[in-house]
Amino acid sequence: MSELGVLQAVRLKGRVSRGDLAATLGEDRFDVIDRLVSSGLLLDGPTLRLSPEGRRRLEGLLADERSHVDTAAVLAAYGEFRSVNAEFKALVTDWQLKDGQPNTHEDAGYDAAVLARLDDVHRRVTPTIAAVATQLPRLSRYSVKLQTALDNIHAGQTMWLARPLIDSYHTVWFELHEELILATGRTRETDDA
Amino acid sequence: MSTRPVIQLDGDASSPPDVLGHKGHGIDMMRRNGLPVPPAFCITTEVGVRYRAEPEATINAIWDDVLAGMRTLEATTSRTFGRGPHPLLVSVRSGAAVSMPGMMDTLLDLGFSDDVEKALAAEGSVEFARDSRRRFTETYQRIVTRPAPDDPYQQLRAAIESVFTSWDSPRAVAYRAHHGLDDGDGTAVVVQAMVFGNINANSGAGVVFSRNPMTGANDEFGEWLPGGQGDDVVSGTVDVEPIAALRSQQPGVYDQLISAARSLERLSSDVQEVEFTIQDATLWLLQTRAAKRSAQAAVRLALQLLDEGLIDEAETLRRIAPTHVEALLQPSLQPETRMAAQLLATGLPAGPGVASGRAYTEVDAAIDAADRGEDVILVRNHTSPDDIRGMLVARGIVTETGGATSHAAVVSRELGRAAVVGCGGGVAESLAGKVVTVDGNQGEVREGSLQLSAWSEDNTPELRELADIARRVSPLRAHARGDYPRLDRHTEAEVRSAMASGHSDVVSASPLLAMLAAIRLSGVS
Repeated sequence: MSELGVLQAVRLKGRVSRGDLAATLGEDRFDVIDRLVSSGLLLDGPTLRLSPEGRRRLEGLLADERSHVDTAAVLAAYGEFRSVNAEFKALVTDWQLKDGQPNTHEDAGYDAAVLARLDDVHRRVTPTIAAVATQLPRLSRYSVKLQTALDNIHAGQTMWLARPLIDSYHTVWFELHEELILATGRTRETDDA
Repeated sequence: MSTRPVIQLDGDASSPPDVLGHKGHGIDMMRRNGLPVPPAFCITTEVGVRYRAEPEATINAIWDDVLAGMRTLEATTSRTFGRGPHPLLVSVRSGAAVSMPGMMDTLLDLGFSDDVEKALAAEGSVEFARDSRRRFTETYQRIVTRPAPDDPYQQLRAAIESVFTSWDSPRAVAYRAHHGLDDGDGTAVVVQAMVFGNINANSGAGVVFSRNPMTGANDEFGEWLPGGQGDDVVSGTVDVEPIAALRSQQPGVYDQLISAARSLERLSSDVQEVEFTIQDATLWLLQTRAAKRSAQAAVRLALQLLDEGLIDEAETLRRIAPTHVEALLQPSLQPETRMAAQLLATGLPAGPGVASGRAYTEVDAAIDAADRGEDVILVRNHTSPDDIRGMLVARGIVTETGGATSHAAVVSRELGRAAVVGCGGGVAESLAGKVVTVDGNQGEVREGSLQLSAWSEDNTPELRELADIARRVSPLRAHARGDYPRLDRHTEAEVRSAMASGHSDVVSASPLLAMLAAIRLSGVS
């Protein structure tokens, strides 16, 4: 399980430092990481990444994980996710652009209205993650990471809404989307972008 | 009511644009000058204003005038509305006093019933009649938001009411707010006999500019869609041909079109954008308006018109907004550079800015190339979080699928990268390895590494010429150097205070901008 968690986190990040990996996993799993490096599944360097063998190993572990879930339940949760996904993406875009121009964040009322929509999105997605976690307990971690990002935004650190390379709301959301696409056996090409 | 509610646009309407609407006034002007325009009448803006207050009573009060207008269209075209053997179809268009392109509704091909379709099939072809009816029913359903009734007069009435109502549509309200236009007016409605670009192979629709509105070159420019109707050209959903294609297909009609565009330019003393339809090798002009133009073109075209004696020096300066000059002084992709480079892909502009580099389709290869010091453009089907490192090293980002809220769009804006998304399948393969320029403002990918450049008041001939003119017209002469009081900035307040102090000459870092401000303040005409 922890091997799957580490390999999947590295895959989702592409290339990731040991520190960022520990942060996204919520724990230091240097023992697991060192073992994966010495067995050639992870390539070491300033950042970690999957070797071709690591990618094959991950695909095997994910297929095994999928074989134990109730597909109908996962599909239902994915359907609920998609219904709130469009609203989330729209609000991130509204955060970045105002009247088609980059948002200068000088209009506090406008910004507050956009962020209020995020609270609603969070209320809607939390039970969806809980439902899918009954099938894939590993995914309950996404609820924690979204909550952390939301707390930071509420504390005024709005870079936690959409900034890449940190576990911002958008980064976590998108990784969760990838997990759900995988768990339903789809690919992004057959889905929306 | 100070005027008749319904006015024939036969060249004799003799009412200003604020009554006839911009479109109606243009049609009347073209008819007066003997240009080929399908017969039309307009319901005035005054009716449009009254309709907003009392819809039912207003439309009842003018309906007999509308019917009389239709009788005149029937007599002029020798066709009959709502029946064969030669049925008349009409377009119903909005036309506010000030042109608001694309903001309000237009219905084409109105006047269908089963009998009308049969009669048109006999006159033209079964395919033409069916295509026209399909266009009508789809547009009607979309704009009136219910299925079209069988009675052509009910169609006409509902269409007119929809156009009047579209004055208060959210996009029209937003457009007026953005451009500082008065909300209290209303639109006119133009009802015009249809001509058909979709009737046979010698037909089509297009738009022509009397000069190039992007570069400001003194060459005709435009788009042409064989076999299409006007809304196809405007919609941007169909691939149109450059206007030069019409020259090779129908040289005689092309010459007639260009000559009409040039004469409209002389009549209105400004560069025109003309919508036209060719029906079976006969040219028809549908509307004309002052062409929307880039900042570069605004300057060059005003100077050309001055040279040709169409406008005077004061008017030349009025045609150039300070924002035009300010934009020109910033580095940007110059239109002539852009238009000269081959267009490789188009998509949605998702991250503003312009960036050049070699296209890579794999993240690892992109990172390696950036490590070697190359400028990198990342091209992917779509992006996901594991592409972030590739996006970070890239100067520009292009995707095949995805819209304005896609991962690539969100992350590009967050990183400040130029981005064009949703360019269509196969783009990654076709761009791979090429040196390209991503234009995140226009939504284009063009071949080569295109350089940005800025105009300068010192070195760009057009701006020097403008400054010379301004020194003859402006109450405050501004110079780049000389023994005069210094103007620190070219804001209105500074310019006003210099003029109030009785200065006639000042030194400024931006003499042209200072004088444009002075001219605006003093209202020189």
